[in-house]
Amino acid sequence: MQVKNEVLSRVYVLLFGVILPMAAVLFYRTVDIAVIQGEKWRERGKDLYIAPRPVEAERGNIMARDGSLLATSIPYFDIYMDPNSTGMSEADFLKNLDTLSHCIATYVDNNFTPGGFREFILQKRVEGARYVPIKRKATYLQKKQIEEFPLFNLGQMRGGFIARKLSERVRPFGLLALRTVGYVRDGRKIGLEGSFDEILGGQPGQQFMLRVDPQQDIWIPTEDLLEIEPESGSDIVTTIDINIQDVTERALMRALNAHGADWGTAIVMEVKTGAIAAIANLRRLDTEGGPGYYEAYNDAIASATEPGSTFKLATMMALMEDGFVQLEDTIPIFKGRTEFYKLPLEDSNPLSFKIDSTSIRNVFAMSSNVGMATLIDRHYGTKTIRNKNKGPEFFIDKLKQFNLHLPSNIEIEGEAPPFIKEANSREDGWSGTTLPWMAMGYELLLTPLQILNFFNAVANDGKMMKPYLVQEIQQLGETQRVFKPTVVKRNIASAQTIDRARELLLEVVENEWGTANKLRTSAYKFAGKTGTSQINYQRTTNKNRVGGYQASFAGYFPADAPKYSCIVVINNPRQRGFYGAEVAGPVFREIADFCMKSRLEFRPLLDTLTIASASVKLPDGVIGEQTDVRKILKQLDVKTYGNPGTEFLVTEVRNDSLLLERRSVPGDVVPSVVGMGLRDALFILENRGLRVEVEGSGKVVLQSVKAGTPVRGQTVRLTLG
Amino acid sequence: MSLGARISAELRGDRAIWAIVLILSLFSVLAVYSSTGTLAYRVNGGNTESYLFKHALIIVGGLLFTYMSYLLHYMRFNRWAPYLVLFSIPMLTYTVFFGADINDARRWIEVPFIGITFQTSDFAKLALITYIARMISARQDYIKDFNSTFVPIIVPVLLICGLIAPADLSTAILLFITSLIMMFIGRVDTRYILLLLFLGVVVFSFLVTIGRFFPDFVRVDTWTSRVSDFVESPEGGYQIQQAKIAIANGNIFGLGPGNSIQRNFLPSPYADFIYAIICEEYGIFGGFAIILLYLFLFFRVTRLITKSPKAFGAMLVMGLSVSLILQAFTNIAVSLHLVPVTGITLPLVSMGGTSVLFTCISFGMILSVSKYIESLE
Repeated sequence: MQVKNEVLSRVYVLLFGVILPMAAVLFYRTVDIAVIQGEKWRERGKDLYIAPRPVEAERGNIMARDGSLLATSIPYFDIYMDPNSTGMSEADFLKNLDTLSHCIATYVDNNFTPGGFREFILQKRVEGARYVPIKRKATYLQKKQIEEFPLFNLGQMRGGFIARKLSERVRPFGLLALRTVGYVRDGRKIGLEGSFDEILGGQPGQQFMLRVDPQQDIWIPTEDLLEIEPESGSDIVTTIDINIQDVTERALMRALNAHGADWGTAIVMEVKTGAIAAIANLRRLDTEGGPGYYEAYNDAIASATEPGSTFKLATMMALMEDGFVQLEDTIPIFKGRTEFYKLPLEDSNPLSFKIDSTSIRNVFAMSSNVGMATLIDRHYGTKTIRNKNKGPEFFIDKLKQFNLHLPSNIEIEGEAPPFIKEANSREDGWSGTTLPWMAMGYELLLTPLQILNFFNAVANDGKMMKPYLVQEIQQLGETQRVFKPTVVKRNIASAQTIDRARELLLEVVENEWGTANKLRTSAYKFAGKTGTSQINYQRTTNKNRVGGYQASFAGYFPADAPKYSCIVVINNPRQRGFYGAEVAGPVFREIADFCMKSRLEFRPLLDTLTIASASVKLPDGVIGEQTDVRKILKQLDVKTYGNPGTEFLVTEVRNDSLLLERRSVPGDVVPSVVGMGLRDALFILENRGLRVEVEGSGKVVLQSVKAGTPVRGQTVRLTLG
Repeated sequence: MSLGARISAELRGDRAIWAIVLILSLFSVLAVYSSTGTLAYRVNGGNTESYLFKHALIIVGGLLFTYMSYLLHYMRFNRWAPYLVLFSIPMLTYTVFFGADINDARRWIEVPFIGITFQTSDFAKLALITYIARMISARQDYIKDFNSTFVPIIVPVLLICGLIAPADLSTAILLFITSLIMMFIGRVDTRYILLLLFLGVVVFSFLVTIGRFFPDFVRVDTWTSRVSDFVESPEGGYQIQQAKIAIANGNIFGLGPGNSIQRNFLPSPYADFIYAIICEEYGIFGGFAIILLYLFLFFRVTRLITKSPKAFGAMLVMGLSVSLILQAFTNIAVSLHLVPVTGITLPLVSMGGTSVLFTCISFGMILSVSKYIESLE
């Protein structure tokens, strides 16, 4: 028992002498830190602060109708080093520093020597830096490489490797439809990027970020603390046809350069649906790179101007709809000169000066101002029983029937509303000359798209469609939403009026006196109306007008079964003519030519017998891209043998089948592309950094730089034939 | 019979100690759960649930071990003790040279065929404590004798602690101190205890010398850097400062379960610094509760000693509880910046594989003794 008591007394010594005092110290120290010194530590905790921060979602693509990317986001990385990361041990740091310095100086930043970088990072580590930039705008592959460097390969905690993912919006087709594709920048939302910002933008995620420097508000991402995964934005598929867009843009550019105009726009619309196949806007700007034409402003949608003679279609349709004129009626045009309320009015077509009177067909075809103004004044100028005692209002009612007073409501922001004066409205500035001047497209404002939409309705048998640019929304290639064509008005005029209007529009091209007669082609028929309107005429102080002209052409093709409608507007051409037919007309023709040529469905089907006889001749010495050639030959059921492993191949006829042979393309010299299609030739040449200019159509028959010349970024002119 | 009654009939022994085990387990699961409950760890598609699940599984497994060792009669430990010590010496030796290298320290070996790694020092610790209890109780009559009592005790103590020390100095020191305390309680001559202390210092110096030549085996660098960190920076290093911020954030009443901010800054908030996280979420009262639970354990063990008819039982529960309390207090003291950073876990509360199992076995052995004492009453 004595032993036990002694043991117990020793236990009490332990309890009261050691355990309890220790517990007391722990208690006190807890209170000390939590409460007594609490304020100080809490304050310090605020400096080191972790909070959820938004992570940008991947932005969706904007695609052309065929899936070509008009705008896409390419990820890149800003890479930083945290030389004081929480898990980095002195040993790891020192052991790997030399190799890391060597890697960085060799592969990442040539401004550093290995020793220099070593010093730099040692310095930063001593300073307590947490966020040292290593490389900005690294590609994914570069990031992968840097991530594998010694020390960095230990991760963010132990190795101090920080990569921030960012993305850059790129437009692989450059200028093409640039303004319509638009952008979102500094709160400005332009074009499709702007209108579909929410859909493209997706849902931003959240990541916990650590604030390492409260003064400079620097945050570094904490490893693996992604709270909410960002949701990628959806892709939008536009109605833009990349080939038509390309031709449109180029034709417009050429015309603007040739005529030194201020701005120009061209739109191509699918007649049946209202889908915009191409929309080009070019405006002359003086930029750092010198003056030039840029997709800077969406004039097609945002610029409401006096349309001029293209509006005569509406005038004529109103007269026909009200039964005031027949196509064969003869009306006076007074040798092209008259006046209203002492304001003189002249035809601009010199042809008129010899003619006293002529048929409605000719008046429209030769675009006689006097004829149109006289007609409109006669039938709507005063209140008569025939116009139900409404006078001018009766005419305005017709324009409203044609929906010309309403905007097109295209998806993108910034459409200028049309301006059609209310009859006799003082507020709108209605005067005695308003009505005759309206007849020829003045004293009212319409955007190119609104005029085109009207012409399109005529081409579409009177059915007015809503023009649209986006046909589909996709998420990872899956269709999310489809935008169907929308009918705005089933019949803007009677079928008879529409038929006659189309006859008149064809007259403009086909009639000997037609303003666009010189543009006609034997290949196909198109119909349209020229427009040459005076601009800035209001500023006239004396007889000399300071303003110039706005040349336009609106129409559709092919005339008998319209597929596309198109408008070209060129504002203030300064040289080589100003008439719609000579400035805007050729652009229209070029676009129409391309569409008619490239669309298979426009070509008359070959007789099957012709195909059979044509197949006798196999293509010899044809060069093409491997998969393309094989696909075509398979489609045509041509027997082939040989399996060249090269990207391109050349064919050789062997009896009734084709031998496919290797065709290698050397990398550092200009290759021969003669015999190739344009697409393959462009691919090969542009991949070598060469600039390519193209002339004609068909296969390459001539190249301006000889094959075998070392590549130095030359421009190669290809002649196709 | 209702389930509650059935359990209570099954769980004999000191119910208060049972309660301590269960409450600590609960704290442990809560501490892990509070982290997974936050959005912050929602990464990797439910990886956190797997953490929680794994931890809960370990706790349940641990309690099963407690129950199993509780079922054994504690005198069996007495009989096994010499063999366990004999077994642990080659095992520790193997660990020093061929153990799995995790976090730059060789503390683990892989069990063949099963593929589980476990910390051999945990096993050796139990073996040594049981062995000392056996020796002290068996030689009570001639406890002051040098050759027959003292030598057989100190040789295994120095050997085992010396083998643990190279990779895990803090565990070795705690085990050494536990041995000294057991010898003090067991009435070993104070002179001998001082001699052992001196021998311990000699062994330690010897290890440091070896460490100069074989830094891979003895982590002298780590020791010096941790001690110098502690001595040189009055406010503590980065980790310590984060722990202090956590405790300060908790203030008196805490931020509430799952609201810890500092877990994002502390390298292993569920092991070394779990006390700071508990303080942050549950305030100083949460911290007090933890300390009081371990204190309460010691009171209950003292009560057992007064009732224990046999010296071995008394010495065993004393040794085990002192070991647990020393560990707990050391872990807490690290968070409170009272001692250098050690890597000692908070027994039963910290998340961490096999050490939980051995802690549970310790509790089971204590309970086994208490069951026997209860059966005498």
